[in-house]
Amino acid sequence: MPQIRQVDETLWEIPASERADMRVPARVFADPELLEAIRSDRSLEQLQNVATLPGVVEAALAMPDIHQGYGFPVGGVASTELPDGVVSPGGVGYDINCGVRLLAVPLTAAELGSRKESLVHEIARRAPSGAGREGRVRLRGAELDRVLREGPSALLELRGIGASQDLERTESLGRLEGADPRCVSQRARERGGGQLGTVGSGNHFIEVQRVERVFDEAAARAYGLESGRITVLIHSGSRGLGHQVCTDSVKRMDAALARYGIELPDRQLACAPLSSPEARHYLGAMAAAANFAWANRAAIADAVREAVRAVLGAEAARATRQVYDVAHNVAKLERYGGREVCVHRKGATRAFPPGNPEIPAAYRDAGQPVFIPGSMGTSSFVLAGRPGSMERSFGTTCHGAGRRMSRTQARKRIRGAELRRQLEADGVTVRCPSNRGLTEEAPFAYKEVDAVVEVVERAGLAARVAQLRPIGVVKG
Amino acid sequence: MKIVDVYRWVDHTGELELEIEASSQRAVFEQAVAALGELLAERTEVDGGGAMASFEVTVSAPDRATLLAELLSELLYLVEDQGLIPERAERLDLSEESLEATVSGRLSTPPHLVKAVTYHRLEMTEEDETWRARVVLDV
Repeated sequence: MPQIRQVDETLWEIPASERADMRVPARVFADPELLEAIRSDRSLEQLQNVATLPGVVEAALAMPDIHQGYGFPVGGVASTELPDGVVSPGGVGYDINCGVRLLAVPLTAAELGSRKESLVHEIARRAPSGAGREGRVRLRGAELDRVLREGPSALLELRGIGASQDLERTESLGRLEGADPRCVSQRARERGGGQLGTVGSGNHFIEVQRVERVFDEAAARAYGLESGRITVLIHSGSRGLGHQVCTDSVKRMDAALARYGIELPDRQLACAPLSSPEARHYLGAMAAAANFAWANRAAIADAVREAVRAVLGAEAARATRQVYDVAHNVAKLERYGGREVCVHRKGATRAFPPGNPEIPAAYRDAGQPVFIPGSMGTSSFVLAGRPGSMERSFGTTCHGAGRRMSRTQARKRIRGAELRRQLEADGVTVRCPSNRGLTEEAPFAYKEVDAVVEVVERAGLAARVAQLRPIGVVKG
Repeated sequence: MKIVDVYRWVDHTGELELEIEASSQRAVFEQAVAALGELLAERTEVDGGGAMASFEVTVSAPDRATLLAELLSELLYLVEDQGLIPERAERLDLSEESLEATVSGRLSTPPHLVKAVTYHRLEMTEEDETWRARVVLDV
């Protein structure tokens, strides 16, 4: 167990001297109770491994929802300096641009009333998990290339799917520059081309919620959220296309490590210098997959609006607006401390503070919206980025509650039928075809999201704006 | 003592770790096919049993552990593209850096549960006439 010292109220550090191959410290934002949970798995060892990457600067950072992953821990941030610092596909993850989109429906929970069941049912019907071969939208050839290059704006132009007003309220306007469809393999295209508009399984979901509590009236007003309002949270990513891009890239970089004289404590950290052909190939493919993921969430949002139209009418569908869309698995070139770095966010969310020009004008006084899903059946939070993120965490905050229990342990603690009963008793309508899948995502398998959010707030990374209580869940 | 070919899933906070113990290299790959099939079959509602199908698989890699990862990756593609729930390797030919197999199973609508096969803790080694392998799947 590595020696860890407390830096301040919410920050802990494993010094670089703790291991000969660490280039920078490993730091964790946590409170004492969360830290105890973090120390119970391999998260910290994995964070130390990240601190060995060539070109890593300042520290390998972990958010309070960190848990053991493969290579990089989930809930980590690492920045490497151009030109010869490395990029590591594992630092983004297989689900490139897995992220969260929040929609606000122009009704309160009271107004929705008994139509809740129908709404959840219609959403489940129109936004499938993706088991089987085809999703809502099949893209091939030149059409797929355009979506890979341009994201949801291309999907809107080509197929009329999505809403133009959503683009401004999407991180990076739903399009990473530098996307190169030529870097996306045929296998990735075959895996993902028919999956647009599908949610995926595992911890992906669509959740119908009500705004239960507002912490920051001004920010909530700017975001269009008021107490009692119905919201819909979509958690999904780049599906098989992104998974294959990462698989292809890890394999390519693994084969090239010796050529660059790179030795790693974990093969899954496979990487290449940012100036190398392998890195440029990955960044081109990653950007394409990220754009595909934003198009996917746009297609799912379109399905949600169709469900709203079916149950609540055309006017309600027309007035359903996107609050924002954030990525929590992505690598971006950004500037901190006067230098350009590649920020790897794996299970971590960008959280730019008020005044940042990348935030939509309507939100610039409030700060960038951040969405922190809790576990199924527990609250999610809307946060706003704060200046501390730029000073302490490369403009980043947490992404969710983080697992604290394996799927096997979760399944052993409760049966699917009982969990459904408990959720329904708590007022949560559940649509999930698999009892097994449901129990693996049980609320107790995750850390307490309140505790995670409190730490990031006290650390100055982001601040609470609103709390969202689930009233319906659609899972794959 | 006869070595029994077995696989087991190991608790992992966020991912799935597969451990295999077998009497031969070939048996390691056969167990991997069966393990993936069991993982998916448990989570699939197979309506009417599902039609049986076979697919030819060819993969290559510079070492045995990576070859195991490549086989599972290839099967993941067939799961998503064909709806295959693999059951067994009817034929499996190993050479120094490649593997050819005929994998059979049922066609259905398996969940897209496994995103990828990782290189994290990837291992395939022999000791005392027993082959052991470990592979972590991203789910």
